[in-house]
Amino acid sequence: MDPMTRLLSLTLAAAVGAAPLSAQGDGEPPPLNDRERAAHVLNRLAYGPRPGDIERVMEIGVEAWIEEQLTPSEDLGVRLEAKLERFETLGLTVAECSKFVLEGAPMGEDPESRRERRLMRRKPVDELMEAVPLRAALSERQLDEVMADFWRNHFNVSFTKGQAIWTQLPHYEASVVQAHLWGRFPDMLVASATHPAMLHYLDNHLSRKPPTEQQLKQIERRERQRTGSEQRGEEAAAIAAQRGLNENYARELLELHTLGVDNYYEQDDVIAVAEILTGWTFTQGRNASYEYVFRPNLHAEGDRKVLGKRLREDEEGGNAQGMELLEMLGEHKGTADFVAMKMVRYLVADEPPQDLVEEVAKTYRKTDGDIPSMVRTIIDSEEFWSRDHVGTKFKTPYEYLVSALRAVDADIQSLDRLEGYLRDMGQPVYHCDDPTGYYDTAYAWLDPGVMALRWQFATDLAAGKIRGVRIPDTLYDRIPSHVPPELWQHHLTRMILPGGAGERTRAALATVTSEYLAMHRNPDLYELGPRLVGLLLGSPEFQKQ
Amino acid sequence: MKPSTRRDFLKFSAAAGLAAQAGPLAGNLFAAPAAYSRRGGKTMVVIYLRGGADPLHMLVPYGDEHYRRHRPTLRMSLEDGLIQLDDMFGLHPAMGGLQRAWNDGALAPIACAGSVHPTRSHFDAQDWMEFAAPGNRTVRDGWLNRYLASTHTEDASEFRALGMQELLPRSLRGLYPVLAVPRSMNSEKGDRTLDTFEKFYGDGSDIMEGGSEMMGRREEDAAGVVESGRITIETLRRFREIVSGQKKRQAGDTVSGSVYPEGGFGSALEQIALVIKADAGLEVAGLDYGGWDDHTNQGDTEGRMADRMRSVFNGLGAFYQDLGPRMKDTTVLVMTEFGRTVKENGNGGTDHGHGGSMWVLGGGVKGGKVHGTWDGLERSALYQGRDLPTNTDFRDVFATVMANGLEFEPGADFFPDHKPRLLKDLY
Repeated sequence: MDPMTRLLSLTLAAAVGAAPLSAQGDGEPPPLNDRERAAHVLNRLAYGPRPGDIERVMEIGVEAWIEEQLTPSEDLGVRLEAKLERFETLGLTVAECSKFVLEGAPMGEDPESRRERRLMRRKPVDELMEAVPLRAALSERQLDEVMADFWRNHFNVSFTKGQAIWTQLPHYEASVVQAHLWGRFPDMLVASATHPAMLHYLDNHLSRKPPTEQQLKQIERRERQRTGSEQRGEEAAAIAAQRGLNENYARELLELHTLGVDNYYEQDDVIAVAEILTGWTFTQGRNASYEYVFRPNLHAEGDRKVLGKRLREDEEGGNAQGMELLEMLGEHKGTADFVAMKMVRYLVADEPPQDLVEEVAKTYRKTDGDIPSMVRTIIDSEEFWSRDHVGTKFKTPYEYLVSALRAVDADIQSLDRLEGYLRDMGQPVYHCDDPTGYYDTAYAWLDPGVMALRWQFATDLAAGKIRGVRIPDTLYDRIPSHVPPELWQHHLTRMILPGGAGERTRAALATVTSEYLAMHRNPDLYELGPRLVGLLLGSPEFQKQ
Repeated sequence: MKPSTRRDFLKFSAAAGLAAQAGPLAGNLFAAPAAYSRRGGKTMVVIYLRGGADPLHMLVPYGDEHYRRHRPTLRMSLEDGLIQLDDMFGLHPAMGGLQRAWNDGALAPIACAGSVHPTRSHFDAQDWMEFAAPGNRTVRDGWLNRYLASTHTEDASEFRALGMQELLPRSLRGLYPVLAVPRSMNSEKGDRTLDTFEKFYGDGSDIMEGGSEMMGRREEDAAGVVESGRITIETLRRFREIVSGQKKRQAGDTVSGSVYPEGGFGSALEQIALVIKADAGLEVAGLDYGGWDDHTNQGDTEGRMADRMRSVFNGLGAFYQDLGPRMKDTTVLVMTEFGRTVKENGNGGTDHGHGGSMWVLGGGVKGGKVHGTWDGLERSALYQGRDLPTNTDFRDVFATVMANGLEFEPGADFFPDHKPRLLKDLY
């Protein structure tokens, strides 16, 4: 029988023979016990437990741990602080970052110094791509990291836009994402709308009012006089006439950042928004600060109607019209609904429970988009703790890799090798070309084929084949020395799969163990241990949170 | 019951086989299980250009009197090297890879083809095109996946479909299991990894005993992880066998003399060609090429868009040459989510538009002429006064190409809310 037919006939047998999976028979399933609750918060509100984390959370209490995570504090943990020291570009302004890119301009000379210059030029990119997962793996403020990734994708910007954006993202990460993690959504919206990275990524810095007839005539005349050619004059005017609105940012602002696609708005609204935001750009050039600036000379003046509301031109010649637009969007019911839906999908389930979405949207409206209040509404909900949603969400590649590093308590010297794995799996940091950001549902990531990449990573990590990352011996030393080799598998399973292993996984580990023991008279924990760890990280159970 | 995971699908499909005698099932997946009639040996390769590839920069209407005015910096003429197709159209010079197919009458561009839905959102437009259900947010299965589901038979090859990239294009996504081949797994090291994890994802033989395992923990494999892992192992292995077997067979065979361009896209096409030549029962393959959202600095005969076109169309040219006589049973379909504004913007680029272009290569298509209806570039002929209109619905192209290239006539409800009209001129 070929595999597909076998699969079909077997699943048919299962379908006929087994009762429907959703039927639970008598009554409600039991609520989560303390260990399950601790494991759940560490999976959903953190990037998975490190060895010993579950016990620590149980000791201080799940509620106290949540409270700690929701309360802003600067304490990122000693280990992380030390690791972040070597990064030079994190949090620098765009102007400061551009020094690296400029000084690293490619020039002749010998290969070695060319290489150094190239590294210098790429520094803002390489450091950010490494620092983001490093923070996620090592920070004690895990919920910060979980939410930061949510916002990175909600207000997506990408290095793929081209070299000019390289200098802009370190500051974007600090001043848009990190600075507003526990603030209000409308403030984060304004921060993104006035950041050069966003204005550049979605081309708003190029959008400007179209020239008037008079200006066109002037251009034509000047070019004709300059070149002595009528044709060149006409062409110059024709080119200038094309200059004008760029709708890119306006559309994504409505579609992806606030209202959700085709909710409440139409093409006319997109154009009106684009017109309002003409002149929203940033300073450029030698010694420029590369900060947001409103340029009245690029702005298409006039009152505009957006979503049925008239927004008056700023009489002082400033950006008040655009600010009013953002304020209106920040207060809009559609924005509350859309952001609530995405947050619930991220923290609870791929199919977000509608009641909870409405509850969170209500919180948004009541608190003017206060992010901690919305997260709290989710954590306090029945849905968050429901067995239907515990251990069922498929990890994205990024979540998978970071949680694996944590599960083995990896000793990290550098994470620059992680980038290649993330790239292969389709999710390199700050490289999502599409303004949607990376998706957070199984539908987007669980294709037959990609599982193989996770297994490869798991094997490489456990075998110490990823440069800069190693599993410390202390992981294996957690197994008491009196434990016989046959039982090592159980201790490692308990460490890495806090939700427990299914029958198939247990059987597979037992087979691997007995095969090893049959071949080795003197079993070595530091040899069999890594093999088992690689298998556990690649197991079906570890793919979910 | 609506199946929601691939495992459910297989279960559902098998159950549907039994239930078929009892009466037809609701839902478009199994709309017409009995109505299809396939004959083997035909393959379709679907290329998606993500981002909204500018149709006027590929199928260039150099003969239109308004063209030059709309495109003061982007415009090109025959003198610039356009490949003349007729009195109206020329191919962009970077599409020279297709010259031979055009001369052979095997290339059929369709002007002003795409979606009639007015959305200018990339993401909706792409989803809806790949689900072949514009405006419908409930359909979550790609049109090629639906094709596979509607034509599944008990003795079907496990190798009917292939996504040659890390993640499947949405057209192939859905409940019917389809393999995505990650580039880095195409190696001996990759083979060893599959062997190692077989025990954890199984070969399916313990699934019956596994019933209790699933019952103990509520819907243990609800996300379909084990299922996905198992299919990964089985099909990736088979893929490796097929490709290396075919490579051995044709070693030293330089008849085609075809050279694929360097890079992921070219090598993916080369692998697809190997699988086709191995007669492994491949019916559909999908491949994406991203980055066509040219809001700025699109370039003219050279530049960013030209570079992209060169790698796509030189790749397809090599594929055409490589497959040689097999091209009569192999159809390549190239599409994008929408066209772009007829007028260029002030940044040497173009913004999101409406009507686009579609391209059919091989498979017996009536090529050597430009298909579709062209209304010219006068403002009054444009959609909303700014974009190309959509005169040919992409679903009619899909239906026609499936009917001829795969010998599958989609049933009346294959496309939700649309009764397909076959394009008689195309074949």
